Amino acid sequence: MVRRRRQAGYSLMEVLVALSVFCAFLAVLFILTAEMRGWDKRLPMNYARHPQVASVIARMRKDVTDAHMPNYQTPYLPEHKEFTMDEKVLILRTLVNGGERTIVWDFRETGVVTRYEYIGTLRTQWNARGVPPEFSSGVDIDAVDMTGRLYGVRLRAKDAKGMLAIDQIFQPRAHQ
Amino acid sequence: MRRDERGFSLMEVLAAFLVLTVVITVSFTAFLERNNRLRQASEITLAYQALANEAEYIRRMPYDALVATTVFTSGTEVLAPLAPFGTATGIELIKPGVKQVTLTVRWKNGAREAKLVVMRADTGGSPLW
Repeated sequence: MVRRRRQAGYSLMEVLVALSVFCAFLAVLFILTAEMRGWDKRLPMNYARHPQVASVIARMRKDVTDAHMPNYQTPYLPEHKEFTMDEKVLILRTLVNGGERTIVWDFRETGVVTRYEYIGTLRTQWNARGVPPEFSSGVDIDAVDMTGRLYGVRLRAKDAKGMLAIDQIFQPRAHQ
Repeated sequence: MRRDERGFSLMEVLAAFLVLTVVITVSFTAFLERNNRLRQASEITLAYQALANEAEYIRRMPYDALVATTVFTSGTEVLAPLAPFGTATGIELIKPGVKQVTLTVRWKNGAREAKLVVMRADTGGSPLW
């Protein structure tokens, strides 16, 4: 009886053929996703999908829209208590029943946006935690001249790539 | 003595490849479509930021100063990723003293478009500010 020798493993040609089929598959994948990767680089981060950022913007918009002082007084303050208005701090005031309400938006701390509200001696605080660090570092608050009307607030924020991701103008509601 | 049969027949291998190809194609198509939708959502977010900013200016402009133009006063830096893009402000007199302002942003050679409409009434030069 003749015994056939069993050959384990694969020949070089079999391995090369399998590798070439696999590489062809990867090349097709790479080509198909090239356009997708191009767009990922071209578009800034979509902060609107981030719940904390979206809630900060919504609340800030409401605060600016509702800001109202009588006799054509500006609702913006250059400073209040330990805060000074700059590109990361916004200070607003508005007349409410019971006196004057002052709101301070503080973007200085990385990852946290804080809103302080002062009415008389009372102070309340609202924090938006988990804000993207690049949002905190890239945010910029500026005044907007609305051509003879009350100044508006322009909130801009850049993403980690330095691209402008948020550019929103808020302005106080028109009043006498 | 029975012959020991091991391995797969050609038909079995071909059938397996066919099933694998169908699964991969379907999954990949869904993946690409999802990314396409996300990209479109990001583009729309950028476009509506520019439209909302321009609407804030439109709300404050004197009624008689509202004219059709192709330039946004509020700036279009946020639209840079959509370049080349075009902006337009259309004015339509709905009835005496009321203008409909249509703000438009177009990109992808006009294939994509976002619009915002603002109604303005002539308040006779109100002292509101």
